[in-house]
Amino acid sequence: MVADSQAIQTRQLSKVYPGFFKSQQVPALTDLNLRVDQGQIFGLLGPNGSGKTTTIKLLLGLINPTSGDALVMGQPAGDQETRRRIGYLPEESYLYRFLNARQTLDFYARLFNMNRAQRRRAVDYYLDFVGLDPSVRGRRIGTYSKGQTRRVALAQALLNNPDLIIMDEPTSGLDPVGMLEIKNMIMRLREAGKTVVLSSHQLADVEDVCDRLVILYRGRIELEGALRDLLEKKDVFQLSARNVSEALQAKLSEVAAEGGATEVQTGRARVRLEDLFKELVARKRSGESR
Amino acid sequence: MFGLLQHIGPKLAGSGIALGTVYHPPSQHHYVSIFADVVIGLLILAFVLTAFRDIARLGRGISRAWAIGRVTISEAWNARMWAVPLVWFAICALLGLLIVRGYEPSGVVRVYMTIFLRAQALILLMYLGIMACVTLPRERERHTLVTTGSKPISRLELLLGKVMGLSAAGVLMLAVMMILTWGYMKVVDLKIRHDAQVLYAMQKKSYDNVLRRMPPDTGVKYISEHGVLQAQNYVTGKLSIAGYINYQTNPPSRLLKGGSSEVLYFEFPSLPATEYYRPMFDFQFQVVHALPSTKPVKIDVTLVQRSNPMNTQESTLTLNPAGQAIWMPKNPTSFFSYVNPQTGQMYNPGPVVVKVTCPEFGVYLGFGNGLRPPSDTACLAVSLDTSRTPHHSGMIAPKPNPVITGFKDNGKQEIVGPSIHHPQIKPEVASWDFKNLDQQQIPIGPNGNFTLHMVISVDKQSNEALPPVAQIVAYNTDTPRVRTTLSTYVNEKRITTIKLPSTLLGAGDLIVNLRSEVPGHWFKVKDDSMIIMQPPSSFIWNLFKSEMVILCEIVLIITIGVTASTAVGWPVAMLTAMVAYILGNLFHFVQSLFQSGGLELFDYVQDNRMKHIWYYKIGSFITNVMVHMLWVTVHLMPDFTRYNPLYFIIRSKDMPFEIVVLDMIWTLGCILPTLAIGYLLLRKQELA
Ligand SMILES: Nc1ncnc2c1ncn2[C@@H]1O[C@H](COP(=O)(O)OP(=O)(O)O)[C@@H](O)[C@H]1O
Ligand SMILES: [Mg+2]
Repeated sequence: MVADSQAIQTRQLSKVYPGFFKSQQVPALTDLNLRVDQGQIFGLLGPNGSGKTTTIKLLLGLINPTSGDALVMGQPAGDQETRRRIGYLPEESYLYRFLNARQTLDFYARLFNMNRAQRRRAVDYYLDFVGLDPSVRGRRIGTYSKGQTRRVALAQALLNNPDLIIMDEPTSGLDPVGMLEIKNMIMRLREAGKTVVLSSHQLADVEDVCDRLVILYRGRIELEGALRDLLEKKDVFQLSARNVSEALQAKLSEVAAEGGATEVQTGRARVRLEDLFKELVARKRSGESR
Repeated sequence: MFGLLQHIGPKLAGSGIALGTVYHPPSQHHYVSIFADVVIGLLILAFVLTAFRDIARLGRGISRAWAIGRVTISEAWNARMWAVPLVWFAICALLGLLIVRGYEPSGVVRVYMTIFLRAQALILLMYLGIMACVTLPRERERHTLVTTGSKPISRLELLLGKVMGLSAAGVLMLAVMMILTWGYMKVVDLKIRHDAQVLYAMQKKSYDNVLRRMPPDTGVKYISEHGVLQAQNYVTGKLSIAGYINYQTNPPSRLLKGGSSEVLYFEFPSLPATEYYRPMFDFQFQVVHALPSTKPVKIDVTLVQRSNPMNTQESTLTLNPAGQAIWMPKNPTSFFSYVNPQTGQMYNPGPVVVKVTCPEFGVYLGFGNGLRPPSDTACLAVSLDTSRTPHHSGMIAPKPNPVITGFKDNGKQEIVGPSIHHPQIKPEVASWDFKNLDQQQIPIGPNGNFTLHMVISVDKQSNEALPPVAQIVAYNTDTPRVRTTLSTYVNEKRITTIKLPSTLLGAGDLIVNLRSEVPGHWFKVKDDSMIIMQPPSSFIWNLFKSEMVILCEIVLIITIGVTASTAVGWPVAMLTAMVAYILGNLFHFVQSLFQSGGLELFDYVQDNRMKHIWYYKIGSFITNVMVHMLWVTVHLMPDFTRYNPLYFIIRSKDMPFEIVVLDMIWTLGCILPTLAIGYLLLRKQELA
């Protein structure tokens, strides 16, 4: 039995993309064991081609695993009823170019068997939510800018008020403001108790929002854990403070605790995720070249 | 068939006529259709077993499928689907204007409807067939299936959605095309009415002013009042040719009519080999029954080698008073199989056919059915010279049931009028059997009469100057002694109306017999040469039914296209759909190949020794397998020849609603296994 608190669990999940010759086969994912608890923001990191998208497609049942299995909300991946509770933002915004934003969302809402009133409400609500300029909503998506298309794709993923939201490179194609909005949105989703799985190779996206993350490299998990633990430097102590006078500054280095400083923060020094990631990839690469 | 003959034959025997037989080859290869049925049944079973969960969800799934369908329509609309009916209309209107000039009013409807409806079917089949083949592959290429596939939708719903969407597009376009057709025909009709009014007024004026002898044409008046857009309802009878029939043979056989286009075919599957280089043989003809029996009769015989129709021999034979003739073909070796004793080589020319025609008018010849009965009524047999061919002495009979083909064009048959030279020979009779008239609505005139409409053409062998006269004898099978007999002038190729008392209508069949009264005048008749008119129905309803038949065909090709594109890219899918359509149209052709035995020739070889050589065996085996595969394939394809939206409307006849319903049921029956294939192919497919 799978505890209901687990949104996703995979066991030895592997995917080899078929090729006519053995040399053409791509082992995109090897023995992936993943656990995502409900209510978590989960980051799926890895350089290009490390198997993030493959993992996500397997979780949605869009492709079939070569071996192993995956449970999503306690059901086998791809179960039709479970997909009612999932929202998916694809890596690129694969939408019908000949529909406008409203028609697009209306179509997807129909796939969730929403009635007319529900559809109208959901469509307007989520287009506002993702901040799509109202003046473009009646235009064909084929004419949209990349960022505008991305917003429609995002609205499409949230349309059914899903419990589990899977986002593949959510910030790609967005401007810095858009990125910030996405981050805020993810925080709001966390507050609403949703589970979010997001993949990215842009570490700044993930750094502030993720509870847990894995780093994939060539289809295998290289690093896994809570973000806080991963980024802590265990052997370094850090202190920062405000309103520090000249004298105190001098004294602080000797007796920090005795000083009259306010808002003293202490803690382990943190690496930047980007450094951690770079170091990991560099280590793997050098290991391979040896 | 023959039971029917036995039933009707004696009834008419008293009147000196009997019904003729029309040859229908027995259908063969039942096992192939059974095999096809089993395959289709297994397909549906596999579908139900694998898809039962998806099928169970269809209650709510249909609205999801329809969502997919709507997007598919949007896609088509965006690809300028709306232009298709407009282009169609432009082409048809132009073609119509160019072609229709100079037709009589009823011909105008025929031509317009042929152009408009054929073009509709053709354009929509092509357009929607192509759309069906590209819509899924295009979604795959554009990756829109990735997003759609992440939603709670099953593969079955996806498949159904595509079919539903394109079918709805077809409905939309057909509706527009129907309205355009209707509007156009309305305008045409107005013009025809106006022209008829003018013409009638002119005729009436010149008749009133005694410039014209004939009274104004009532037909023109009718058109000026009612127009030509009609959907007539009428009852047709089943035509039997009532010539002279020989009941001595079993089954009874129709006599060969002298001077007509009738040909009697005898087929010998293969004339068996003899051991001598030059076999001696002759064809012995024996006429069972000849009218008049006094005269020495000539027959033309032709021997044809089936594998090589250019290899023929002809001769004219004169029957002796006993009705016999013997023919020794000059160079028999090219028709007869034999063994060359020197080389041991076997020569086999394959099946041969003997065609018999009789050139003389007024002569009727009965050849029996080709079997050699124990009596002396043999019709045709090959007799071998017993002294030279000891192992094959005696007679060889052809295949039973020789075929008489006397059909002129359009399936019309001729009936011969009275003979000039032999008054004792009665003219032939065409007999129509109207069944179940008591269940039909038949308008009765004020005098208690109902109207029979007769359209026949007349072939004048002599007495060209005389107007053709027909004698009609009508009675009800319940009261065969109460007969109405009348003679009437025949309007050639036009409607001749005949009034009959309504007392003839009853629970039994109405029999109407027709014969020519003028010596040398032959009538050409077919099933609907004699009809009973009923109140007309509306033209637009008739048009609608024709469109429904087109729709059925379109939905079927859409299903085939979508199904084909689940597994392969669009070019191969289009090819598959096209092949399915072509094979589906060949259904009857391939069936006829098997039934007429035409495929025996595939396996035919002149030198029988060849048959034992290994490569011949392999080749023969492969041909055999391929021919049978073709046969099975054709049986697995839906029969597209079934859809005939034109048949009724171009005859201004109302299409019976049953035909539409049956076509729909049949289409569903074809769609189901097709969808099953599509589902099985799509079920485990990766959408990304
Ligand atoms: N359809 C496919 N066929 C063959 N190889 C594929 C296919 N899709 C992805 N791959 C390969 O699988 C590996 C993982 O791809 P992907 O999961 O898309 O990586 P990413 O982590 O960038 O999302 C890559 O090497 C990619 O080239
Ligand atoms: Mg990716």
